[in-house]
Amino acid sequence: MRIKKIFLLLFIIPLLISCTTEKPEVTNRIVIALSADVETINPLYAFTVDEGTLTETLFLSLIQFEWDNNIGDLIPKQMLATSWQWASDSSFVIFNLRDNVNWSDGQKFSTSDVVYSFDLYSDPKVQSRLYGSFINFYTDSENHVDTAKTFEILSPTKIKIKFLPGSVPSLLDVIFPVIPKHVYEKINRESVPTAEINFNPITSGAYKLKKWERNQMIVLEANKKSFLYKNGMIDEVLFKIVPDYSSRLTQLKKGEIDFCELIKPSDAADLKKLKNLIIEPVTGREYDYIGWNNIDGDYYNKTKNIRPNKLFGSSKIRLALSYAVNRDEILSEYLREYGQAAVTPVSPIFKTYFDETLKPIEFNPEKAKELLKEEGWQDLNKDGILEKGNTNFSFTLFIPSGNPLREYAATIIKNNLKAVGVEIKVEKLELGAFIDNIINKKIDAWMASWYIQVPLELKSYWHSDLEKTPLNFCNYRNNDVDLIIRKLDKNISSQERINLVKKFQGLIYSDQPATFLYWTDNIIVHNRRIIDLTIDPLGAIQKIWEWRVNN
Amino acid sequence: MKSEFYKALLKRLLSSLIVLFLLVTFIFFLVRMAPGDPTQKYISPQLSPELAQQISESFNLNQPLYVQYFSFVKNIFTGDFGVSYNYRQPVLYVIKDYFLFTLLFSSISLIIQLFVSYLFVRLALRKAGGALDRTLSKYSLILFATPSFVLGLILVYFFSVQLDLLPTSGIKSIYHDDLSSLGKLNDYFIHIILPLVTLSLAGIAVFYRYLRDSMEDIFSQSFITNLRASGYTEKQIFNKHILPNAIRPLISVAGIEFGILLGGALITEVIFSLPGMGRLTVAAIFNRDFPLIIGCSFVAGLMMIVSNFIADLIKIKIDKRLVKELMQ
Repeated sequence: MRIKKIFLLLFIIPLLISCTTEKPEVTNRIVIALSADVETINPLYAFTVDEGTLTETLFLSLIQFEWDNNIGDLIPKQMLATSWQWASDSSFVIFNLRDNVNWSDGQKFSTSDVVYSFDLYSDPKVQSRLYGSFINFYTDSENHVDTAKTFEILSPTKIKIKFLPGSVPSLLDVIFPVIPKHVYEKINRESVPTAEINFNPITSGAYKLKKWERNQMIVLEANKKSFLYKNGMIDEVLFKIVPDYSSRLTQLKKGEIDFCELIKPSDAADLKKLKNLIIEPVTGREYDYIGWNNIDGDYYNKTKNIRPNKLFGSSKIRLALSYAVNRDEILSEYLREYGQAAVTPVSPIFKTYFDETLKPIEFNPEKAKELLKEEGWQDLNKDGILEKGNTNFSFTLFIPSGNPLREYAATIIKNNLKAVGVEIKVEKLELGAFIDNIINKKIDAWMASWYIQVPLELKSYWHSDLEKTPLNFCNYRNNDVDLIIRKLDKNISSQERINLVKKFQGLIYSDQPATFLYWTDNIIVHNRRIIDLTIDPLGAIQKIWEWRVNN
Repeated sequence: MKSEFYKALLKRLLSSLIVLFLLVTFIFFLVRMAPGDPTQKYISPQLSPELAQQISESFNLNQPLYVQYFSFVKNIFTGDFGVSYNYRQPVLYVIKDYFLFTLLFSSISLIIQLFVSYLFVRLALRKAGGALDRTLSKYSLILFATPSFVLGLILVYFFSVQLDLLPTSGIKSIYHDDLSSLGKLNDYFIHIILPLVTLSLAGIAVFYRYLRDSMEDIFSQSFITNLRASGYTEKQIFNKHILPNAIRPLISVAGIEFGILLGGALITEVIFSLPGMGRLTVAAIFNRDFPLIIGCSFVAGLMMIVSNFIADLIKIKIDKRLVKELMQ
C-alpha cells in the first residue's frame, strides 16, 4: 500500500508542477535557433557564419555592404562612416565618421578606435582571424600594419587611410568590426585571446550582450543609446542553442523558436502547411560537387612533382563522368524545389558575371561511354567494368558521415557510374578525417560542398600554385585560368572583369576539374510575426535592428 | 588490521594515479596520431595562410612530439591541462561548469534508478512469478534494449509535442529570469523530467534485473526458512538479511554505472540540449581541441575510479568480510 502511494506521488507531482508553471507574456522578443554554441563573440576571432552574425550585430564597421539583387553584387552603405572619398589613383581614402556613436559603456567612439583596430587585428601576438590579410597596407616584416605610415587623423571624425603603392585596395579592406581602444589598450596583447573581454564585450552596435550561457543561449538586448535604435525595434533577441535537428523542428512548430535555418527539403513541405510559418529559401551560396584529384597525390606527396592522376588526370574522363551523373534525379527526389543544377563554381547570384550561355551538363550515359572509349577505356573482358591495360576503372568515393543528402546522392551516383562501366565503392569518413585526407591529397574522389565567398573569389580555389592555394582541393592546373586570375587581381575595368570571369567559366566548363552537381538552398523558416527581415545571399540573419514583431 | 587497511588504501590510490597517468598519455598520443589537425579550420579564403602557421606555433604543434609530451607532463603535475584551442580558456575552467551539471544530473539519475528499481522489485516479489513479475521482467528487457535516443524522442513526442505538458529541450525557459523563486525551481524541475527519465529508464531496467535475481536467490536459501522458523518477521528478515546480501552485486554495478554517467550522457544531452560532459567531450573531439580532449578524458577516468572506490567502501560497510578482498 505504501509503495503504491509512493508511486502515485512520483507520477502526479510532476504533472501538477508542470500545470502550475508561470509563463510571463513577452511580445517583443524573438528566439533564433542555433545548432551549436559559438566559440567567441569577439570580432578578432569570429569566423564562422554564426559568430559573424553575432559580432556584426554587436560591433559596427566603417561601412556595411548590402546585396543588390539586380546586379548581383555588393553595394557599400554608411555605418560608422557617413561618407568617403577615394583618391583618383586609389592610393588613399578619406572617411568622415559619425560623431554620435558611443560604446556600450558610455565612452565616445572616435578615429583612434579605427586606428587601434587595424593595429590589433594585424598584430601577430593577438593572432586575430585577419592576421596576414592586410596585403594592401604598409606593414612591417611581421605583417603588422604600420599605423604611422597608414593613418592620418585629420580630425576626431575624419581619417585618411593610405595604401601600399601598386596595390589594388577596395572598401573590402576596411570591412571589419571596429573594437574599443580604451578597453583593449589595458590588456596585455598576448592575453587578448583568453581575456575576460571576450565574454563581456563593450560594443557599439544596435544590440548589446545581455547574457551568454554557454551551450544554452545568447541573449542580446536593444541598445537604446545607439544611433541605429528606432521605436519598435525588438527588445530582446535570443539565440537558443538546440543541437538536435528534430528538436529544432519541434520547437519551430510549437512556436518556441521563431527563426531557424538549414531546414531539410522534406520537412519544408510539411512546414509550409503551418499558417504561422513562412518559408524563405536562399539560393546560390553553397554547391555540392564531386571532387576529382587531377594529379597523382601519392607521387606529389613523396616528390613534390606533378603527374596526372591515372584515372582523373584527363579532362575528357572528367567530362565523361559528369555526363554519367544524373543530377536531375537527386534534384527532383531529394532537393525538390530547393536546388538547381550547377554549371561552374560561379554562382548564378552574380548576375553580371554569370555566363548564361553555359548549360548544365545533361545526363547522357551514351556520351559518357563514348568519351571513355576515346580515352582507351573499354570492357573487353565483359565483366561490366571498363579497363585500360591492367587497370580497372574502379575507385572509392569518399563522403563525410552524417550528411543525408550526400549519402543519398552517393547511392544514385554509384548506380549511374556502374551503368557506364565505372565501379565505385562509397566510404564514409568522419568530417575531420575527411578534410585532412583532402588537404593532404590522400584521396582521389570525394563528394563535398563549397560555401562560396561574397564577393566572388576564384584565386583561393582554382589557382594552380598548390602550395599557396591549399583550397584547390582538386589540384587543378590550367595556365589560362592562372592568367585570368592574375589579371583579376589588377586594377581593371568592370567590363574587362566581367569578360575575364566569363572566360574563366568557359575554361572550367570544358576542363571539369570537378563535377559540379547542384546549388543547394538554405531553407529558412521563420514565424510570421517577424517582419521587415532582409534575407538574401549575404545571409539570413542581418540588420536585426530593422526587424519588427507584428503580434 | 587497521594499518593494513590503510596500506591497502594507499596502494589503491597509487595504482589509480598510475592508471590516470597512463590514460592521459595514451589519449595524448592517440589524438595527435589520428587524422585531422586543429589548425585546418583556419584554412579558408577569408584567412591568410600565415594565420594557420601562427596558430600552430602558439599551440606548440610545430614542435616534435616528444617535446610536446614533456611539456604536457611537466604541466599536468602542476594541475595545468593547458588552454582550450576553441574556448580560449584554461581547460579545467571550461570543464568546471559542464562537470558540475553532469555531477548533479547523474547523481539524481542514479538515485532514481536505484530507488525505482528497488520499488519495482519489492512489488514484483510480493508474488514471485505472478503477472506483475512477468510483465516487469519482459518490459525491463525491452527498455534495456531500446536505444536512449529512441526513448528520448518518443517521450518528447508524447509529452512535449502531443500533450504539450513538458518542454522540448534545455535546462530552463527563455523567460526564466522573469520568474519568481518558486517559479524558477518549477522551471528547472519541468525541464529536467524528460532527460532524467530518458537517462534513467535503461538503468532502472538493469538494476531491476540484478536486484530481482539476487533477491530471488537469497529468498530461496535455507537460512531464510530457518529465520522464519525462528520467529523473525518478514520485515526483519528482509531488512537485516535479504537486502544486505542482495544489494552487494548491485552496488558494484551502480559504481560502474555512476562512473559512466559522470563521463557524460551524450545522446540525452544532445536531444535535450543539456550542457553536460558528453557534449563537451564530443565537440572537443570533432574540433580536434587536444587539451580539452585530454582534460575531459582525465575527468571521466577520475570519476570512474572514484565511483568504483566509493562503491567498494559501501560494500565494506555492509559486509566487513570484504575488507580482506580490498587488501588483496
